[in-house]
Amino acid sequence: MGFARHVGQISVLTVRIVMAVGQGGVSLKSVFAQAYEQGIGSLPLVLVTAVLSGIVTSQQGGYQFSSSIPLYVLGSVVASSVVLELGPVMTAFVLIGRVGARITAEIGTMAVSEQVDALISLGRDPVPYLAAPRVIAGMIVTPILVGVANAVGVLTGLVSARATMGLGPEGFLYGARLYWHSWDLFYSLAKAFVFGFTIPVISVHMGLITHGGAEGVGRNTTTSVVFMIITVLVVDATFPPLFLN
Amino acid sequence: MDPEVTIEYENVHKRFDTPVLSGVNLSVMRGETVSILGTSGTGKSVLLKTTIGLITPDRGDVRIDGESVYHSTRLGLRDLRRTVRYVFQYAALFDSLNIYENVAMGLDPAEIKTLDPQVMLDRIAASLVNVNLEPAKVLSKLPAELSGGMRKRVGLARAIVGEPRIILYDEPVTGLDPVNSATVNRLIMSIAERTKVTSIVVTHDVEGALEMSHRVALLDNGTLRFIGTPDEFRRSEDPLVMAFADRRAAAEAALKLIEHDAYDDNDAGPAHAISIGVRA
Ligand SMILES: Nc1ncnc2c1ncn2[C@@H]1O[C@H](COP(=O)(O)OP(=O)(O)O)[C@@H](O)[C@H]1O
Ligand SMILES: [Mg+2]
Repeated sequence: MGFARHVGQISVLTVRIVMAVGQGGVSLKSVFAQAYEQGIGSLPLVLVTAVLSGIVTSQQGGYQFSSSIPLYVLGSVVASSVVLELGPVMTAFVLIGRVGARITAEIGTMAVSEQVDALISLGRDPVPYLAAPRVIAGMIVTPILVGVANAVGVLTGLVSARATMGLGPEGFLYGARLYWHSWDLFYSLAKAFVFGFTIPVISVHMGLITHGGAEGVGRNTTTSVVFMIITVLVVDATFPPLFLN
Repeated sequence: MDPEVTIEYENVHKRFDTPVLSGVNLSVMRGETVSILGTSGTGKSVLLKTTIGLITPDRGDVRIDGESVYHSTRLGLRDLRRTVRYVFQYAALFDSLNIYENVAMGLDPAEIKTLDPQVMLDRIAASLVNVNLEPAKVLSKLPAELSGGMRKRVGLARAIVGEPRIILYDEPVTGLDPVNSATVNRLIMSIAERTKVTSIVVTHDVEGALEMSHRVALLDNGTLRFIGTPDEFRRSEDPLVMAFADRRAAAEAALKLIEHDAYDDNDAGPAHAISIGVRA
């Protein structure tokens, strides 16, 4: 199926989700259930990636420092790499694997086993029942997870800088603050919000259009993951020219 | 419009990659049971799904009680769907819901909000009893914990709990052992008798179809090649009807069709036509 058609169908799905929310047809209970699953379920892996991001940027940054640059600048390198880039993007990748793939496989299985048809035939619209809770949950949970990832990433960067570079916390924080704009956090969370919408909406769409049995579920799950990765990278690449100038 | 006609397919066309339905015409009367036979992949499920708007025909129309399913407002379609229930081939129970919740989905959402919980439980239990399931044993189970035959019966219970006027059955006995098949066939008959429901039954069980239906239709190559009473079906001289009705003729007709390469069955091939005939 053509790319334009996917985009068209995702747009229609988005409009229908907004309408379903407007008509009050989305159950808060299922939004909470999804938010719990996506949020608490992803937290351990998000923490692991955040810790590694902090350590890696700190080490990598430190390694490239020469004596002419004051070491406290490392604080700024770690803080901006983690907050602007690694926190949101690594979290998005975790969510693609843990949440997005699961949503496509789950809804895809429902589609090929005619559960989606059954839902419609019983007078229930799959948009408020299946799509909206997952998308709304993603939009709530992803900025929170990214916020946590940012904090944990910077903190491990700080610890790591002290352990291996001998840069104390005061120096690290001094450097981090020196180049810090309050805008940066907003930028990071705005990215997270967009990822929190695109990941579930793509995965729900790819699930709903699944046909062709178990093979179809496998095929669409893979395609869905590829779509999500590309979308996250493209969104990530369009953010700096749009917001950092 | 004839006031007795409940479901009317008019010149229904649908193609996916290849034409699937190319001009299906059928009128089903109120309270009637019509069975639809046909080899796998001929479009029986597609035809059933056009009845409630799950698949939109490219051309033609489907009317329920004179009202078009396709030229109806969203609300109109929702009302139509409320009066029609679809029994899916593999039951299509919701994996994440237990049996109580699954059957409850057969009730109107607006009704659920106003229904007394005890009354609702009684209705759900009654419909499970109607399909020979013990409510106490199954209510809190998940679909995955039941056998295939039990799941199919839960699917039936979900279809009847809302007291529909029309039930569409997609291969209700396919894949069931003979005992379970007979049970399900008898249930379909008793539901039809008790509730005066109008039924369309897509099936490969020719014997069952001839026993339970007022009329039998044979879908082949996108159109209804045969439509008539069970007696007319048994007496038909059409080789394909004979293949379905009689095992000797089945083998011969199927072989003839293979020779003429007329069989274009996309999922099972000619061998399947033989096996259907032999089962009959
Ligand atoms: N949603 C769909 N998309 C594409 N092709 C479909 C779809 N539904 C059915 N088909 C095709 O239509 C044909 C008839 O299918 P179906 O009605 O399921 O056959 P059966 O008579 O066995 O129920 C098959 O070739 C099937 O692949
Ligand atoms: Mg079928």
